[in-house]
Amino acid sequence: MTETLVPEAEHPSSRRWLGLSVLLVPLLIAGLVFWWGFNRSQPHQFSGSVIQGLSAAPDFTLSSDRGPVSLSDYAGRIVMIYFGYTFCPDVCPTTLADAAAAIDSLSDDDAEDVQLIFVTIDPARDTADRLGEYVRHFDDRFVGLTGTEEEIGSVATLYGIYYRAGEGSEATGYLMEHTATLLVIDQAGNLKIVIPFGVESDAIASDLEYMLR
Amino acid sequence: MKVTWVWSIAALALVAAACGGGADIEVADAWGRPSPSVAANGAFYMVITNNTDSADHLVAASSPACAVAELHESMMNDGVMGMAPVGPAGIEIPANSQTTLKVGGLHVMCIDKQAEFVAGDTFSVTLEFENAGTVDVEAEIKEG
Ligand SMILES: [Cu+2]
Repeated sequence: MTETLVPEAEHPSSRRWLGLSVLLVPLLIAGLVFWWGFNRSQPHQFSGSVIQGLSAAPDFTLSSDRGPVSLSDYAGRIVMIYFGYTFCPDVCPTTLADAAAAIDSLSDDDAEDVQLIFVTIDPARDTADRLGEYVRHFDDRFVGLTGTEEEIGSVATLYGIYYRAGEGSEATGYLMEHTATLLVIDQAGNLKIVIPFGVESDAIASDLEYMLR
Repeated sequence: MKVTWVWSIAALALVAAACGGGADIEVADAWGRPSPSVAANGAFYMVITNNTDSADHLVAASSPACAVAELHESMMNDGVMGMAPVGPAGIEIPANSQTTLKVGGLHVMCIDKQAEFVAGDTFSVTLEFENAGTVDVEAEIKEG
């Protein structure tokens, strides 16, 4: 009869822990790697329509209260463009507030790489001074642009924005009807996403974070 | 600070009165977005509950915060956003039901704002209903 040499367990409980961790740690790592890979492989769900392929955003120059501004001034950064008017009490300020909250939720470095441009579709009432004060109420970094009726008209056409003066009341004067989408241009200068009205700030922020990655 | 307190208590009292149950028309969560004085117009939103067995209509609104207040609806037509006064019948609050005035839809349009709307401020808004008569509410200025 051979005596099987059972080594004396130094500490039975610590041995069991050692065995368990030898088994569990690789499992845990494998799980994490799998989860990370899975997350990476999931396509990002954008909050608006994605423009497929390359669609170079045409450059333009309009006036702000701090001088002329061109889209190309912000080359290399994400640019969000919104066409609206300061007389608008409901839809425009909501979109600007949501965009401001989205940018605000980014790190300071990331926020530096995002510029919002508000283009008035009501140049008769929106002077450069009025626009500047209006947009900076939402975010100090926002830029508000105006121009002649012709200049605004041609920029709006370039970006597929429709607008017209509609009837208002005696108290409001005319009210504008307009395409109320938020256009997002990527760092390479291509129109990337068209975000419809009503998308909340965290969804906008998630798009920006994805594009900044 | 004291002023804020007084306003808060006034607002609480009004909310308590409005939520006291049994009122024909109850108005909750009246609010407006902060906006600078350079923005000519603003909007107030709220949830209106009709506790009666017959439909009522919100037919007019006024506020010291606005030179004129109108009842408006924002709406999307073929992807184009517009806004217009509601018809002469006003805004219907169906029997034993509620109507919500909200962003991108029905709102009290505050034309020619008489003050800057700063977060934390409250403004009184007087609502006129066809059946229930006058209801005063306090609208709070806040972000969304
Ligand atoms: Cu309106």
